[in-house]
Amino acid sequence: MRTWLRSLEGNLALRLGLLYLLAMAFAMGALLYQAYDTAGTLNDRDLNLRATDLARYVVLGPEQAPRLELPPRLAAAYETGSSDLYALRTQEGRVIAASPRSFGEVVSGWPNPSDEASYFRLKAFGPEAQDYYGVSVSVPSVTGPLSVFVARLAEGSLLAHSLLREFMVDAAWLIPLFMVITLATGKYAISGSLKPVRQISELAAAIGPGNTAVRLPQHDLPGELVPLVAAVNRALDRLSQGFAVQREFTANAAHELRTPLTIVTAALDTMPGDGELTKLRSDVARMNRIVEQLLRVARLDAVGLDVSDKVDLNTVTEGVVAAVAPLALAQERAIAFLPANPPVVVRGNAGAIEDAIRNLVENAIAHTPRHSEVCVQVERGGSVRVADEGPGIAPEDRQRVFQRFWRGKGASTRGAGLGLAIVKEIADAHHATLSVDDSPSGQGTIFTIRFLLAVHRPRDAALAKAVSR
Amino acid sequence: MRLLVIEDEPRIAEILRTPLEQAGFAVDFVRLCAEGQAALALHVYDAAILDLGLPDGDGLNLLAELRRRSDPIPILVLTARDAVDDRVAGLDTGADDYLVKPFAVTELIARTKALLRRPGGALGLKLKAGNVQFDTVGRDVCVNHAYVHLPRRESAILEHLMRRLGRVVPKAVLEDKLYGLDEELESNAIPVHIHHLRRKLLDAGAEVEIHTVRGVGYLLIEKIS
Repeated sequence: MRTWLRSLEGNLALRLGLLYLLAMAFAMGALLYQAYDTAGTLNDRDLNLRATDLARYVVLGPEQAPRLELPPRLAAAYETGSSDLYALRTQEGRVIAASPRSFGEVVSGWPNPSDEASYFRLKAFGPEAQDYYGVSVSVPSVTGPLSVFVARLAEGSLLAHSLLREFMVDAAWLIPLFMVITLATGKYAISGSLKPVRQISELAAAIGPGNTAVRLPQHDLPGELVPLVAAVNRALDRLSQGFAVQREFTANAAHELRTPLTIVTAALDTMPGDGELTKLRSDVARMNRIVEQLLRVARLDAVGLDVSDKVDLNTVTEGVVAAVAPLALAQERAIAFLPANPPVVVRGNAGAIEDAIRNLVENAIAHTPRHSEVCVQVERGGSVRVADEGPGIAPEDRQRVFQRFWRGKGASTRGAGLGLAIVKEIADAHHATLSVDDSPSGQGTIFTIRFLLAVHRPRDAALAKAVSR
Repeated sequence: MRLLVIEDEPRIAEILRTPLEQAGFAVDFVRLCAEGQAALALHVYDAAILDLGLPDGDGLNLLAELRRRSDPIPILVLTARDAVDDRVAGLDTGADDYLVKPFAVTELIARTKALLRRPGGALGLKLKAGNVQFDTVGRDVCVNHAYVHLPRRESAILEHLMRRLGRVVPKAVLEDKLYGLDEELESNAIPVHIHHLRRKLLDAGAEVEIHTVRGVGYLLIEKIS
C-alpha cells in the first residue's frame, strides 16, 4: 500500500480523488445556495402575482362596497388547505376579505404597506401553530389602492428540496461516474506510458559484464524519462568501453606471450638432459595452459557467441574423445565414449560446445586415478555426461568449482582453475544447465551439461556444417 | 626427406632446426611468403610447415595459391590464431593439419611424420613405428627385422593404425577399409581382428601397443622404452 501510494499511479489517484471531493463539496454548497436563492425568488414572485391577482377579483358591491369575488376554482384552491392565507384591506383599515378569517384579524392591526412589496414572517399561526411567510403590498384595484396580504406555509425549502431532488435524479449521479472514469483514464494513461519503463527495467536487469552491448530503447518512452534513459545509456557506453579495453588487454597480453612461450617450450624440449629440465618442461607446459585458458576466457568475454547453429552432439563429443585419448592413454587413464542413438542435435556453437566438453574431459582425466576410466556419454535429452572415478567433490564446493581461479583443496598445482569457469560461461551462453553429482557407484564425480535440443529436424546444410568441424 | 619451414620468428626457426634434422629431415628455412613461393617453385619438398602470420602477407593466401595450382604437397599450418573460424578456414583452404602455438616440438615432428605416412607421402611406402616396419608395397610386416605373417584383414588394420600413429582411428573408418575385402562384415569383426593382431604383435616382441578407446576406435602407440 505504501509503495502503491508512492507510485505515480497512486499519487495521481490520491490527488485526483481529493480534488474531486473538494470540488464536489464546493459544487454542492453552491448548488444548495443557488437552489434556496432561486426558490426564494420564485416564491416572492408567486406571492406578488397572487396579491395582484386577488386585487383584480375585487369588485364594487351594490353599495359601492368593495367585495372579493373569486372564481370558484380559485376559491376552492384557497379554502382546501391551510397552507395559503390572504387578506385584503382598504386604505381605511376595513378588511374586505380574508382566508381564514383569523388571518384578517391578525393583519387588521398592521400598518398600510407601500407600493413596494414588503415581506413578513408569521410565527405559530393557526390551529397547527405553523410558520408562514408572506408579502404585504399596496395594489391598485377598482376601489383604489388596496392593502393585500398573502402568505404561504414557510416551507419554501420544499421547492428547493424538490429542485435539488430533480438535480440529483437528473445530473448528480454523473459526478461519481465521472470521477471513476477520470481516475480510470488517469491510471490507464499512466500505466500505458509506463509500460516501456517496465520493459526497459527488465532489459536493464539483464545487463552484466557478459553483455555490455545492450542499450535501453528511448522510443515510446514518456518524454520526461528520455533524459534519464539517455544518461544511463551514455554511462553504459563508457562502462562497456572500459570493459572492452580491459578484455582487449587480456587477450593481447595472452596472445603476445605465445611466441616467447613457443620458443621456451621448444628450447626446453630439444635440450638434452633430465632432472631439473623435466621439471622445467612441466612448468612451461603449465604456463602454456594458463595462457591458453586466459585467451579462451578473454575471447568468450569479448565476443557474443553465435549459438544458433545446429550441432550434432555425437560428432562433436566423439571428436573431443578421439583428440584427448592419446593424452589420457599417455597418463595411463582410459577413456570411453558412449554415443546417443539416434544422434542428438542441439542448438549452439559447435566450436564452443567442443571447448566445453574438452575442458570437462580434461578435468576428469586430471582427477581420475591411474588405470581408471573416464566415461563420456551423450544422452538423448541433449546432455553430455562426463564421469570420472576420482575422489569426488564435496557438496559445498560444487557451485564454487565453476568460479574462475578456484582450486580444490589438495588439488594438483597443474591447472589454473579456469577450465570449469570456461565451461560455465559456455553453458550460460547456450542457456545450458550444468550440474555436478556423485557417481552412483559412490566413487567419482559426474559433470553433466545439458543443451537445448534443436527442435526441428536438422537441415542437411546445418548438419554438414557441424560435421565438417 | 626434404622439409620447407616458412616461419618469420628467427628464434623459433633456430630452435626447430636441430630436432627436425635429428628426426631425419633436411630442412630449408624461409621468412617470407614470397621466399616460400620461390623455394617451392625451385625444389621438390616432401612437406611444408607454414606459419600464418608472416611479414609480407597471410600464409593462408600462399596455401590457397598452392592448392589452386593443384600442388599436393602436405602442409602443416602453425598459427597463434586459434579462433575456431580460423582453424576451419585453414583446413578449408587446404591445410592437411594445424598446430596452435605454443606447441611441443615432439608433437610437431609426430604430426609432420603422420602427414608423410599418408599413401603417396615420403614415409607412406615403408611405415615405421617402434621396432615394427610395414612395407606397403610387398605387404610385409617385420618386427625387430623378423618377418611376421599377418592375414590380409589384420595387416590392413595395422597399416591404417600405423599411418595414423598416436591418433585415434575411428572404428567406422576401419570397417570402411575392410568392407571391400570382406563383403559380409560381422558386427564384432573389428574387435576380433584387433584381438588377434595384439596377440601376434605381443608374441613377436613389438614395441607398440594397440589401445582401445571404447566407443570411438583404436590407436597405436609406441611403447616408451
